[in-house]
Amino acid sequence: MRSIDPIKIAALGFALALILTWQVLAELRIISPIFFPSPSRALSVLVARVLDGSIWTPLVATGLRMLFGWALASLVGVAIGAAIGSSRLARDLLEPTLDFIRPLPASAMIPIAVLFLGLSNAMSLSVIAFGAIWPVLLATVHGFSSVQPELRQVSDVLGFNRLAFLKKIALPSAFPDIIAGLRVSLAIALILAVVTEMQASLPGLGWEIFYAQRVYRSADLYAGLVMLGVMGFAANHALMLFERRVLRWRNLHA
Amino acid sequence: MQLRAERTVPGVAGRTAVPAVSMHKVSLAYGASSPTRRLILEKITLDVREGEFLCIVGPSGSGKTTLLRIFAGLVQPTAGEVRYRGQLVSGPSRERAIIFQDYSKALLPWRSVIGNIALSLEAEGVRPAEQQPIIAALLAKMGLERAANQYPGQLSGGMQQRVQIARCLAQHPKILLMDEPFGALDAMTRQALQDEILALSREQHMTVVFITHDLEEAIYLGDRVAVLGDTPARIVELIDVGLPHPRDQLTTREDPRFLAHRHRLFGLLRRA
Amino acid sequence: MRRIVLGSILPTLFIAIWEISSRSGLLTLESLSRPSDIVRAGIGGLTDGSILVATGQTFETALLGLTFAAVAGIIAGAVLGLSPVLERVVNPTIEALRPIPAVAFIPLALMMFGFGVSMEATIVAYACLWPILIVTISAVRAIEPRLLEVADILEMTFAERLRKIILPAAFARINVSLRVAAGIALVVAVTVEIVLNPRGLGYSLMLAQQSLRVDVMYAQLLWLCVIGYALNALLRNIGPAAIALSRASR
Repeated sequence: MRSIDPIKIAALGFALALILTWQVLAELRIISPIFFPSPSRALSVLVARVLDGSIWTPLVATGLRMLFGWALASLVGVAIGAAIGSSRLARDLLEPTLDFIRPLPASAMIPIAVLFLGLSNAMSLSVIAFGAIWPVLLATVHGFSSVQPELRQVSDVLGFNRLAFLKKIALPSAFPDIIAGLRVSLAIALILAVVTEMQASLPGLGWEIFYAQRVYRSADLYAGLVMLGVMGFAANHALMLFERRVLRWRNLHA
Repeated sequence: MQLRAERTVPGVAGRTAVPAVSMHKVSLAYGASSPTRRLILEKITLDVREGEFLCIVGPSGSGKTTLLRIFAGLVQPTAGEVRYRGQLVSGPSRERAIIFQDYSKALLPWRSVIGNIALSLEAEGVRPAEQQPIIAALLAKMGLERAANQYPGQLSGGMQQRVQIARCLAQHPKILLMDEPFGALDAMTRQALQDEILALSREQHMTVVFITHDLEEAIYLGDRVAVLGDTPARIVELIDVGLPHPRDQLTTREDPRFLAHRHRLFGLLRRA
Repeated sequence: MRRIVLGSILPTLFIAIWEISSRSGLLTLESLSRPSDIVRAGIGGLTDGSILVATGQTFETALLGLTFAAVAGIIAGAVLGLSPVLERVVNPTIEALRPIPAVAFIPLALMMFGFGVSMEATIVAYACLWPILIVTISAVRAIEPRLLEVADILEMTFAERLRKIILPAAFARINVSLRVAAGIALVVAVTVEIVLNPRGLGYSLMLAQQSLRVDVMYAQLLWLCVIGYALNALLRNIGPAAIALSRASR
């Protein structure tokens, strides 16, 4: 039987200690229970909602929103990034404009999007895509423009045309950068999914939290937060596992 | 350009045939149209005979790599012409395979050894089913069987260089251009690979142009040795080595003719 | 030079086409406005000070939140970086809290603080804390152990250790994380204002949209691009400038 790592126990203990402090503070009513329900109450609400299924619908709604927006942003981002990264002309034409638009907070696009698309899913998707495209776009540009020059020469000698070079050499070479960009984009997609839900009262965890505050149901608010954390963690972890598998050649050594 | 009179060696094949590659008054300048124009190579005239092993020696930074790239067609000279089997060279070609010194940058780290060799075959449009036997033969020839499914990152420098050579051989090249290929390897591996490449070139009657800054390596390997020197670089000397094959790391290096060449060229390298 | 010329082709073309087609009646969407009106609205906003006041409000809150996050993040990061055991104990809690988007806490912060600066600054602080904390931990962990041994021998207090050895040694990487956090601070501040806080640039953006003053809205978006760009440029040069200054003053 493997001995249990004391550090892991201590880590668990630390987290429990925090929760316990929270419980004590709530019990003693140091902060009003309206804002600050005890963890036991928050947990019971969460469990109840998991059991009766009412937490899954908003979870799935936010999750789908995040995934669709992220997928759209990634496809467009990689396509544009590959074009820019492999052509100096494209880079000179586009980069200054992109550098200027980039610092704009994606949420600032919400007013425009609402103007054109109303308080709809389309609005949400376009804002998410606008925000999530930047990390993957920049990472792709970087990946494609830092292909080893020797590989370019090998490709020329072997007689590969431009498309074959991009497919067989540039794209795999850029993969590590692209995947790193995808992970950041996913995190941004989640954030913007929550923001647009709050803004447009679209179904999802963001809206659940927003509404819970309105009706002073703080336990529901915490439940929503926990589920968001779980979803964010799971999504990132899944992507990390994918990265490890695709890039397994990186971890091998002589 | 100074091409000293060669000592003729009777019986060398292809003396009057079309040379494999020839350079005629090739020059290369950087920044051709700007005031900071720098002449790197000046009026290089050199013939590489079919089937010969030609070594080009010169100190670091003398333009040897650039010269090799011109042979390959990766760089266009600013003056003069390069011909491959009589035809003008206007770009790179599969028949002129080039082996880089920095093997880690010339191999695909995300593909296994087999995958890297397959790259050349993919370029020629060989179908996957037909690739297998060709790759297997090359793995055997280069002693890579045990490493077949490993990635370049898992291999030693010598093994990685063998993979690069195997990938070049898969191109069915007519001429092998090697850019200080063993410079980054330890002495023992270097010697092993020197003998391997010698055996390979003789077995396949391959033309090889081999660049190095190591004079002894050049004399050991070559049928002829050209010395590149001065700034801008010119062919300062071109000798016939005239040593018998097969070469041996011990006895050939002690041969009086070897030592005579060494003495003669050593001085040239220092002056250059 | 070539970059400036080539880079301005697309924007110039875009603006020209937009202006011409809206003037000639080809484009009649009210939601679209036109470049000349936008510029006029922008100049108006600058001269009457409204844009500047809003910018000041946003910056004020962002800076407040960033400062909290920086102080807490650097100190906690230094402590955790120095003690690997402690770091491993606290790490799971960090990893559990980190994935929760800061903006999700907006309703909670609203409940606790009501509308205003505190609520917004708190969200900004939460968002900026994580990158600073994590980078500081890793930067402190990477400090040459010899330097820390010197601190032990000289029997430095934690504060002295922090000031004289840890921070200078880890400066470069912490600096980068602060730059990243500054960008995050601005974005999060604007986001909170857009969602519900009635102050700052985000709020005036929403106001413009809701009162259908599209020219003002676009002008403010343009302004946001400008200050975001200027901020990045400023931050990029602050690091090297600070280093040069500290060298000169020694």
